[in-house]
Amino acid sequence: MNGIGALTDPSGHLAGRPLEEWNAAYEKVENYFHALRVRNKVLLGQLVLRVLERAMRRAPAEPNHSATQLAAEEMDRLVIEWFAAVLQESSVNADQMLTTRGRLALLLADMPGRWQDQFLRPGPWPEEFVGAMRETYLRAGPDFQLSKMTPRPFDLGPITTLTNFSRIPYLKMALSWILFALLLITIFILTH
Amino acid sequence: MPHIRHSWRLFTFYSCALALTGLVSMLFADLLWRTGWSASRTVLLVLFVILFFLAAVGCMHGIFGFVLRRSGAPQCITQLTDYRAQSIAGTSTAIIFPIHNEDVVRVYEGLRATYESLEKTGQLERFDFFVLSDSTDPDKWVEEEQRWYDLIHELDALGRIYYRHRLNDEGRKSGNVRDFLNAWGRRYRYFIVCDADSVMRGETLVDLVKLMEAHPTVGLIQAVPALVNAESLLGRIQQFANRLYTSLFIAGLNYWALNLGNYWGHNAIIRTEPFMQYCDLPQLPGSKPFGGQILSHDFVEAALLLRENWEIWFAYDLEGSYEETPQGIIENAQRDRRWCQGNLQHSLVLFAKGLRNASRAHLLFGICGYLAGPLWLAFLVTFLWIYWFQKHSGLSNITVHAFTPYLNLSGTAHALLVFIICMVVLMLPKLLAMIDLAYDGKRQRAFGGLARATVGVIGETIFSTLHAPLQMLWHTRFVVTNLFGRSVSWGQQKRAADGTTWPFAIQRHWGHTLMGLVSGAFIWQLDRSLFWWFTPLFTGMAFSIPFSVLTSRRNLGACARKLGLFLTPEETKPPLELVSLRAHLKIHELTSDTAPRRPHSGLAKAVLDPYVNAIHVSLLREKKLNPIYAEQLNKLGVGSPAVRALAEKLLADGPNKLAAAERLLIMVDAHTMVWLHRQSWLCPRESLGPWWRAAIREFSRQDES
Repeated sequence: MNGIGALTDPSGHLAGRPLEEWNAAYEKVENYFHALRVRNKVLLGQLVLRVLERAMRRAPAEPNHSATQLAAEEMDRLVIEWFAAVLQESSVNADQMLTTRGRLALLLADMPGRWQDQFLRPGPWPEEFVGAMRETYLRAGPDFQLSKMTPRPFDLGPITTLTNFSRIPYLKMALSWILFALLLITIFILTH
Repeated sequence: MPHIRHSWRLFTFYSCALALTGLVSMLFADLLWRTGWSASRTVLLVLFVILFFLAAVGCMHGIFGFVLRRSGAPQCITQLTDYRAQSIAGTSTAIIFPIHNEDVVRVYEGLRATYESLEKTGQLERFDFFVLSDSTDPDKWVEEEQRWYDLIHELDALGRIYYRHRLNDEGRKSGNVRDFLNAWGRRYRYFIVCDADSVMRGETLVDLVKLMEAHPTVGLIQAVPALVNAESLLGRIQQFANRLYTSLFIAGLNYWALNLGNYWGHNAIIRTEPFMQYCDLPQLPGSKPFGGQILSHDFVEAALLLRENWEIWFAYDLEGSYEETPQGIIENAQRDRRWCQGNLQHSLVLFAKGLRNASRAHLLFGICGYLAGPLWLAFLVTFLWIYWFQKHSGLSNITVHAFTPYLNLSGTAHALLVFIICMVVLMLPKLLAMIDLAYDGKRQRAFGGLARATVGVIGETIFSTLHAPLQMLWHTRFVVTNLFGRSVSWGQQKRAADGTTWPFAIQRHWGHTLMGLVSGAFIWQLDRSLFWWFTPLFTGMAFSIPFSVLTSRRNLGACARKLGLFLTPEETKPPLELVSLRAHLKIHELTSDTAPRRPHSGLAKAVLDPYVNAIHVSLLREKKLNPIYAEQLNKLGVGSPAVRALAEKLLADGPNKLAAAERLLIMVDAHTMVWLHRQSWLCPRESLGPWWRAAIREFSRQDES
């Protein structure tokens, strides 16, 4: 909090940007952490301010970027760094999939239910939490044992001959004419 | 089962049906002869013989079933050996739920009830569950993934309940099962197929495996599903009829089928190895609707197993196998429409070389179930034609002597006798079911007592009498349109919370109403005494709209239940698995958001929700481990710049600007889905399209609530 206070200038701007801009940035970061089910309001507030502080430090040097943009980038960076540290992976040139793995690990380790206080906290973390984050793996199916079913020969008998008729051009048209003729004959027989 | 004994049973059963048909047909032919023979009477007689034979076969199933049940000598697979002591150690069984755009909550709650019931048997580790999705609706797909995770989390069933989504729905249900077998079939000695609405008791599942272990020559055992959970009046009537009459019919069916039984597509255990070896379905020659892919695969798969000398049995005395039934007449007809096309297609398979005669009988009666409608209509039209012609031709109505003078019947009495015999043949199985019930006090109580069950049978008979003409008209339409190579396409029914809506009923039934009024007026004008005999026929048609709406009502179903009508054993003493299912569905109903979902809400969730996105992407990545899927993904162009371009368009313009196939293509690309997630949360608000801004706003609001 002190860090943010130090960035306030006499005109009421924060890190050179109007307060409204930072308010929008706050909302953006808060929404995302909320989406990660960080429900504890104190914790949520702290995490958002931590992100904003990092964004504010960058703000004077990057006047072309909006406060929201800076905050979003810092949030992303912070989360990736934390996932890399917890999962013991490199955050340099981190694969996009690191965040996916991290989010999945948060879910499987039940961060929203049991470990909210550990989220984005610098290490060391409780062993149980680290174990749960590193070891969980979502398996949608067992190991494959691939094979290939193939249809056996199937002789349809006399039907095969009949189905060959269906290849005759204009068969339907001819059949409908024959049916019409049969209908006329039937009516004649029935009425005489 | 010695072959000679089996053939004798088949011969005895169908000889009885044939003998009855022969005798009554003679009587009917004699009646026609008395008023003067004509070509149209020949047509009428032929139609009568066919229709009566079908009714006689049904009646024989009832009679044989009744005798077997009362004599206590049914020959069921469960009584051939003492299978209960059989060990199932070392066996592995997959319980599969092939689904396609189903009610996701219902599917998973059914699975949960089955899983929890199996857990109580202590044999859970011998079974794996698979949800095999062919859903083409992205919203359903995402919901399935999310609820799958929720379920495995709640049941601690990771590595026990699996989920697989196919990239296309090639081959429909049979293709879905084949895809499962190609990937994992060799891991399992048996697999049990469940429908989206199936629930099975754990003990029943274990019993089915024990039976398979005890009988190594058996390829498939069909557990007979009981209809349950109906709430509408129609559903409860169908459920009551199913529970009361099926015991007789299935015992009769088992009399002649024995080890040459049939497969109904679900609630059955299958030996994996022979199924994989022999039951991959061939494509039928010719063009649609008969050629191409076999739609009703179950009967054909059973026929292919029997062809290779594997046995198939009905385990009809095993309780704990359940399914649900349509809640309205229109939904019922929609289901019939699908089955009709599949069954008519069986006419191509009927004469295939090498099939067992019992298989041909199963296929033939499946076909006849739908052909009976147009044949009955033809019979009625021919009859009215003869009547009209007789009246307007000026010919006399004086009857000549019958060939059966010893009966000494007047023309009217003769006609009445034929009519009464027909009614007896149709009604006798119901009467026998009641007598069977009267002998069993415990079962009587399960149906709410004999008196209430009797009133229920009377009510069900009135209902089916009024429903039958509608079935006749629908089946005729389905058969005719199929024969002309067209399929009847119906839009999704707009259901009110309490059943079929009036506008939808008018849309579907106006033709029936018109036909009922016209035919009623025609017969009234033709002969007023004849009019009263035909009343049930055109009343069902003329009042089809209110009939359809009212029978779909839940409150009328509840009212009948309060009066103790149409009670079934599962209603009077609900089994634990159904209690659990209903409780969870109720919790869901009370806690879920009832507001209509935004279009593409599944896609929005898969992009925006960090966890749903992670699950979705993780499952997509796992898909690539299967070389078949990896190849399909490559063919689709996953990972190409074109998909990224589509994703950019999606972000800028929203999903409405993309075709359904384009949206699905984005959703199968793991990297693109991760990219979309990051972009949607990292990009400044103003660089996102209005659709996404609204989606994020809504998502954040929902998330808070």
